[in-house]
Amino acid sequence: MGSFAIETRSLSKTFVTKRGFWRRKTKSTLAVEDISFNVNQGELFGILGPNGAGKTTTVKMLSTLLLPTSGSISILGLDILKNTLEIRKRIGFTFGGARGLYGRLSARDNLRYFAELYGLAPEITRKRIVELLEMVGLTGREEDRVETFSSGMQQRLHLARALLHNPELIFLDEPTVGIDPVGARELRAAIKTLIARGKTILLTTHYMAEAEELCDRIAIVNKGNIVAMDTPSSLKVRIGRETVIEVDVDQQNLESLKIQLVKLDHLSKVEYSAEKLINRISIHTSEPENILRLLGPFLQAKSIQGLEVRNQTMEDVYVAIIQGEKK
Amino acid sequence: MILDQLRLVSRQVNVQLRMRTFNWYTVALFFLQPAVFSAVGMILSRAAGNQAPDLVYTVIGGGIMGMWSGLVFSSTYDIRSDRREGTLELIVGSPTSLRKVEAIRTFSNVMAGLVSLLAAFLAAVFIFKYPLQQVNVPGVLISLILLLFGLWSLGVFLANFLVWSRLSGSLVDFLELPVAVLCGFMYPIQILPNWMQGISAIFPIRWALQAMQASLQGSEINGIIWQKWGLALAISLVFWSISLWLDRKVHNMIRLTGELSSI
Repeated sequence: MGSFAIETRSLSKTFVTKRGFWRRKTKSTLAVEDISFNVNQGELFGILGPNGAGKTTTVKMLSTLLLPTSGSISILGLDILKNTLEIRKRIGFTFGGARGLYGRLSARDNLRYFAELYGLAPEITRKRIVELLEMVGLTGREEDRVETFSSGMQQRLHLARALLHNPELIFLDEPTVGIDPVGARELRAAIKTLIARGKTILLTTHYMAEAEELCDRIAIVNKGNIVAMDTPSSLKVRIGRETVIEVDVDQQNLESLKIQLVKLDHLSKVEYSAEKLINRISIHTSEPENILRLLGPFLQAKSIQGLEVRNQTMEDVYVAIIQGEKK
Repeated sequence: MILDQLRLVSRQVNVQLRMRTFNWYTVALFFLQPAVFSAVGMILSRAAGNQAPDLVYTVIGGGIMGMWSGLVFSSTYDIRSDRREGTLELIVGSPTSLRKVEAIRTFSNVMAGLVSLLAAFLAAVFIFKYPLQQVNVPGVLISLILLLFGLWSLGVFLANFLVWSRLSGSLVDFLELPVAVLCGFMYPIQILPNWMQGISAIFPIRWALQAMQASLQGSEINGIIWQKWGLALAISLVFWSISLWLDRKVHNMIRLTGELSSI
């Protein structure tokens, strides 16, 4: 294994559960199937996927909390089976949601406890707590009980906890889940700060815009497999350099617009959706000028309530890849 | 190095105590439950025709019951709570071994249980006028240390199972009364059938407790007491050895099954 921060080869994980008392039934669930990828030093690597795709299982294997059923993992050049303790000293991890903190203790006491588990000297602990609380925007709240914190504050405290021992590699499993937009933006700013400081980060998320904004490379996983892996811009190219035109139109004009659209043969995809009295048509096309020309008379007649022309986003890429997998 | 370890112990104990502050469950566990056991012991003793109930087996026995229950339920509570709150994963994923964390926690639970015993002892002396002059103080103190060590070794042994599977918590809860019955917390163990005494011989606390009960009743430190102390110490060390052997297996097992974060 080389100088990658993370190197995995043919990684698989099957959970075996047993049910029943007399006649025990064994059930195997394949959570991760034969995945291989590398993460470079200083890179922010994202894993995207629907619920149950195997993202968290992968992160738990990489962070030494789960043993793989087969395959190999090297973290910072160290084999995960032989050097578990050394790896634990050099990595940090957080899992999404409110779990993972002692609610009856203050923010400072939580951090002091975990600092002790990482063997930090008291003077270093004191300094790090001040720095990290400042970094995650919790200065002034250090003596408050964690159970009084909002989800966003708890997530930021999670991040501070994971960074106490100044790890080289950080695993962030859905760090912005359940956080309001302002809190999520602050957390993303903190993640950017970490990358600027040379840390390597593996991030899993449901939020496409977050992945697009933060990640150098993204792996899209589905049903335990990596179905696509590249930079965000290359992933977009992969599904074609198309423009998305979204048109909001009332019921009265919907049918006549549909008739016009079926005449065009260069549309890769047209989706119809309806909300209340407004119908939305999403048109994916490589020739947006033709579509806009077609829409011209409708615009002049004020038959169109809304029009948006945009490039494809990660969400479009994600939906195309996951739906392609389903087919 | 030693200072680092002491700091870890102090921080762990501190966290546990603060997590339990104003926790009425713990208060009931360490004070109310032993008082109920003591009261029932005295009522049964009177019903059996004893004019003056033996305070060693009733009031002080209730305190011992409180220590044992406190250890069993606190240890189960701690691990269940860590599993539920997601902190068990964070502890396992840290460079400090879970064995060390559990050993410190169990030690702190055993020491917290001392308040039960102390309250029962003070009640025996000040409320029920237990004659202090007959107590063999060195014998009681040495027996007490071995009792605490025995409880600690049992607690660490059971903690392995609590970590291994969330279902084993129920099994450990189930052990509370049978072990108390077998080890003769509230009556002389000699009244039990031989086969039950045979089973109880595997528990170090039975031997330490017998030595303590004898010392409370004024027995000299003789060969029999030494034998009981020796057995208490030796069996405790056996439990420690098994726990150390189990630790690695449990650590690998939970990483295979994913039981760490199961609720």
